[in-house]
Amino acid sequence: MNLTQQLVNGIVLGHAYALIAIGWTVLLGVARLVNFGHGQMYMLGAFVTWYGVSRLGLPYIVSIPFAMLAGVAVGFIMQRVMLRLTLKQDLVSIMIVTLGFGYVLHGAAALTFGSTGQILETPLSTQDIYWGDLWFTYQDIAIVIVAILFFAALKYTIDRTRIGRLARMVAEDPQLAALAGINVKRVYFGVFAFEGAAVALAAALVAPRTPILTSMGFDEVIVTFVVVVLGGIGSVTGSYLAGLALGLFTAFFGAFVSPAYATAAAFAVLIAVLVVRPGGLAVSPGGR
Amino acid sequence: MSHGMKTILLAILAVLGFFVPMILGGSGAVYAACVLIAIFAVMSYGLDMIVSDLGEVSLAHTVFFAVGAYTTALLSASAGFGPLLSLAGALLMALLVAALLGLVTLQLREFVFSLVTYAVAVVAATVAQNWSFLGGSDGLRGIPAFEISLLGFSARNDRELWPVAYLLLLAAIYVVSSFRRSRLGQAAMMVHLNPRLAVTSGVDPQRTRLQVFLLSAPITASAGWLYAYQRAYISADVLETYFLILMLTAVVVVGRRLLLGPLVGVTLILVQEKFFSFGGYVDKIILGSVLILTLSFLPSGLVGIFAPLRTLFARRQAPLGKPIPERS
Repeated sequence: MNLTQQLVNGIVLGHAYALIAIGWTVLLGVARLVNFGHGQMYMLGAFVTWYGVSRLGLPYIVSIPFAMLAGVAVGFIMQRVMLRLTLKQDLVSIMIVTLGFGYVLHGAAALTFGSTGQILETPLSTQDIYWGDLWFTYQDIAIVIVAILFFAALKYTIDRTRIGRLARMVAEDPQLAALAGINVKRVYFGVFAFEGAAVALAAALVAPRTPILTSMGFDEVIVTFVVVVLGGIGSVTGSYLAGLALGLFTAFFGAFVSPAYATAAAFAVLIAVLVVRPGGLAVSPGGR
Repeated sequence: MSHGMKTILLAILAVLGFFVPMILGGSGAVYAACVLIAIFAVMSYGLDMIVSDLGEVSLAHTVFFAVGAYTTALLSASAGFGPLLSLAGALLMALLVAALLGLVTLQLREFVFSLVTYAVAVVAATVAQNWSFLGGSDGLRGIPAFEISLLGFSARNDRELWPVAYLLLLAAIYVVSSFRRSRLGQAAMMVHLNPRLAVTSGVDPQRTRLQVFLLSAPITASAGWLYAYQRAYISADVLETYFLILMLTAVVVVGRRLLLGPLVGVTLILVQEKFFSFGGYVDKIILGSVLILTLSFLPSGLVGIFAPLRTLFARRQAPLGKPIPERS
């Protein structure tokens, strides 16, 4: 077993996890919303990209925005349907509704794309790089670069720009923000559209690593939970670090203990953190 | 309506309910559907207590269902236990798992609680698929027929299993209704609606939550127990999201905190799936959409549509399908 190879795997996996979770981080940290259909949105992003590349014959680079657009559309519809719940901040109902959306997405995707597994092949994922006895693909490099750029841009947007300030204000106190003349509904729509686009981008980049199935959303979402919770709910920098840590953990656990139980082990870590510091989860609204 | 009359009416209803499959023609398909409706309704009643009374959303109730089913499969197929002993085993295991989960999640509320319970469900599914002790992806086969030799009772098909399923359903409804009238049930409502008042009235919210959790898990597990006998084999698909969505929809669609709500909800869903199905994927879309639309547009459930009509005829001191107040 090559240690350095596992390190490389872990780093790539970690950036992939962070990228998958970023939509949730913003959703929760900036807008105090949750989306249990996140995993199925990831699945949809992967399948739309796959459909674009292998059925419509689009170039990979064109399929990505195509998938992101689909993600935005789904996010927009979800938010439109549950707007009343969002404005009431009824998190319990939002949870169940988004879970229902995930279920509907699963059914719709299986109906459209079939229930057999597919392989999303991209020009980058088929090119291997051998470096000494290390092995990775150009796809892996793309994941790491895009994740870093995305996180940097997001951090800048939330901290330094007007849009970021508006979103943070709405998170802090929706009523007060509305009084100050901010269109709260529009911010909620924007955040959900962002979530849809971000998870679709992540799917388009990460999904080529493994075969894709319409039923994969159920497992995918747990990774997101762990990243978001470990990162200190809603913190962008925290999510990045948590994603990286989880990636390394999964790679080494998979290599040395058992790949089948890697998710279960990640969850055990989550439980441990929650039990040790349950209060640490309540990060201030709009927390970074 | 006076309390005595209500009891008599309920008793008549309970007796009549037993003959529903016969009235509907008594074919094999009708009995199969009725047995499944009873099982899934019992499963939903467990969750109903958490969602309607405690105001939390547990996404781990599929795990209790699976614990009931797997324990039954192991005890009856491998150890040769009869239905009553395996029921005891299933309830005990569910209590154990619920106690563990309850203690771990005691401090967590709202979405973090749901998130952890959801993660438990996902992990349970991976464990069930991979652990050879639980049969791995093949599942456990060879669960014997439901036979209680002491009573000379044996049920080899759905028609013969119906009395058992119906009794279980009545028992679950009885437990939920007594719970709602009990001190614990009232404490749960208080913790749900006004935690501060609960504390000042000497109710310990965490204790109450744990107790309700411990009461609710065995109810759902008992449904798993009968499901194992009904299917004669159990695999990791008892942990599928389908059961979770089914339970949640059944609990909210008719109206929360209505005693017969989950039963009517499950009946509506299963009748659609068994007799008016559009294929598995479309059924999925229908079920999910019902859940979404109910919560988004009918917060008090289907009953909410008719509530204004009812006020025309009867003067009622408190509305039946009271919406759960928002929490800030």
